[in-house]
Amino acid sequence: MSGPVLEARELSIRFGGLRAVDNVSFAVERNLVTTVIGPNGAGKSTLFNLISGLARPQHGTVFIEGKPYRNAQPHQMQKAGLARSFQITNLFFDLPVAENLRLAAQVLEPKRLWTMPVSASRRAAEVVEQLLERFGLQDKAGYLAGALSHGEQRRLEIAVALACRPKILLLDEPTQGMSHGDTEHTAGLIRSLTSDVTVLLIEHDIGLVMSISDQVIVMHQGQKLAEGKPAEVRANPAVQTAYFGHA
Amino acid sequence: MRDALTNSMRASHVLALVLLAAGLMFAAFGAVTNDTFYLRLATEALIFGGLALAVDILLGYTGLLSLGQAMFFGLGAYVAAVVLIAIPSFWLAFGAALVAGILTGLIGGFIANRVRGVYFALITFGMAQVVAKVIYNTRSLGASDGLIGVPIVKINFGLFAVSSDNPVGFFLFTMAYVGALYLIAAYILDTPFGRLLIALKANERRVPFLGYHATSARLAAYVLAATIASLSGALYPMLRGFASPELLFFATSGNAVITVITGGAGTLIGAIYGSVLLTVIKSYVGSWTEHHLIVIGILFMLVVIFLPNGLMGVVRPWVEKLLARKTRS
Repeated sequence: MSGPVLEARELSIRFGGLRAVDNVSFAVERNLVTTVIGPNGAGKSTLFNLISGLARPQHGTVFIEGKPYRNAQPHQMQKAGLARSFQITNLFFDLPVAENLRLAAQVLEPKRLWTMPVSASRRAAEVVEQLLERFGLQDKAGYLAGALSHGEQRRLEIAVALACRPKILLLDEPTQGMSHGDTEHTAGLIRSLTSDVTVLLIEHDIGLVMSISDQVIVMHQGQKLAEGKPAEVRANPAVQTAYFGHA
Repeated sequence: MRDALTNSMRASHVLALVLLAAGLMFAAFGAVTNDTFYLRLATEALIFGGLALAVDILLGYTGLLSLGQAMFFGLGAYVAAVVLIAIPSFWLAFGAALVAGILTGLIGGFIANRVRGVYFALITFGMAQVVAKVIYNTRSLGASDGLIGVPIVKINFGLFAVSSDNPVGFFLFTMAYVGALYLIAAYILDTPFGRLLIALKANERRVPFLGYHATSARLAAYVLAATIASLSGALYPMLRGFASPELLFFATSGNAVITVITGGAGTLIGAIYGSVLLTVIKSYVGSWTEHHLIVIGILFMLVVIFLPNGLMGVVRPWVEKLLARKTRS
């Protein structure tokens, strides 16, 4: 299929007098990693909230594979093929790690299995096994998610988002608070995801951004400041002004 | 690897079998000694256990505190009483209570599910108070005296029949009936839909991003709990021969919540254990003093402080470990 898999057109939201996201448009190509960067308060997370249905844009439309979604709710965006992780770890802390993944994977099962015991949900069980292995959480499958270390919880956060087999994955600062080693490992993991999904990322670690992104979008004060390949963006004088206060 | 939550549910089933065995022994003992009083009391404990089961589905699994679940219990009792007075057929009364539970559950759910947390608790409380007061003031339903004169009913199973005035027979029937409600609830809670309810309790805000419409799931849980409460209430007039407005009062709803917390919320079988335990304590303490509520109150405080997961919170993990070890070897 041709054309962008995800497109935002003229998205805007205002909180009181603050234009949190102001007329932002961009398109994301299939199986690439696109990273949104920008100083704190630039509107990156709000942009994610608008795309994933957590917040409703006052203006603008999100397109997934060319189909428009206006004021869609989160579960409708999931059905459209979009999944997201959260900047502040948002898991089922009182449930086992495997159950966190199983809950996310059970949407893959046909409706008739919804009235059968969960042991009949074979496909979900397979997805859980694959993800536990891919994210190095096999030994922790029976642990409560709340009992994991911070780094493990951040990894589980990504795994849960992936469990419903989305086309588009929104990751909000996946490496936030991770150790250097964990960050590098996670970067490799994200890069490896692009064989199946399109990744839209918010990230602060500039080194990581430059190494794993195919495309970078720079936001500043709610607006899109620049967009392009990592090297182009780095060389952009407007970006340098926004980030460092001088060209 | 076996699913941890399925394993927990199996542990509840083991504990249900223990209770069933105790119930059968009790019935045999009652039959031999020709007892009526204690068999009737135990039957009542099971009926209120059914109400507690409904509260546990909401509180222990879905994470919703209902302070008005007695509304559905009482409605079930009144619907069954009205039907039985007109036509003394158990199956007709059962069907009517089933339909009434689903319909009133849908209506109540639409109202109560608009809000969360404390507000949900208050709305469920308020709805129950309103309905209770309406019944309390309705002359044709017996007003404050309750609806009396419910005839003895023969429950026909084709091959055999159980009469509601046979203490042993009706006790065994009630045990099978509440046991069936328990099994239905347990089955549903172990399906993907049931897990969705558990997810709502664990972190409701994450649920929509997994592709589920949280409000619909919550409504479905509410209707399920309303139906189970209504079906439990339907047995009450068969046991006592009347339905009274007190069945809908807050004392009944609050008692069901205390039952669930004492027995162990989120275990399902804890609701039945809790009901049996509280009935035993009430009748035992009640033979010494009429202020048994003081004792229940103190007991409840002690449970909350020292056994925050209730009786089953202590016993069930132990059974779970046994089961897990058995499946591994």
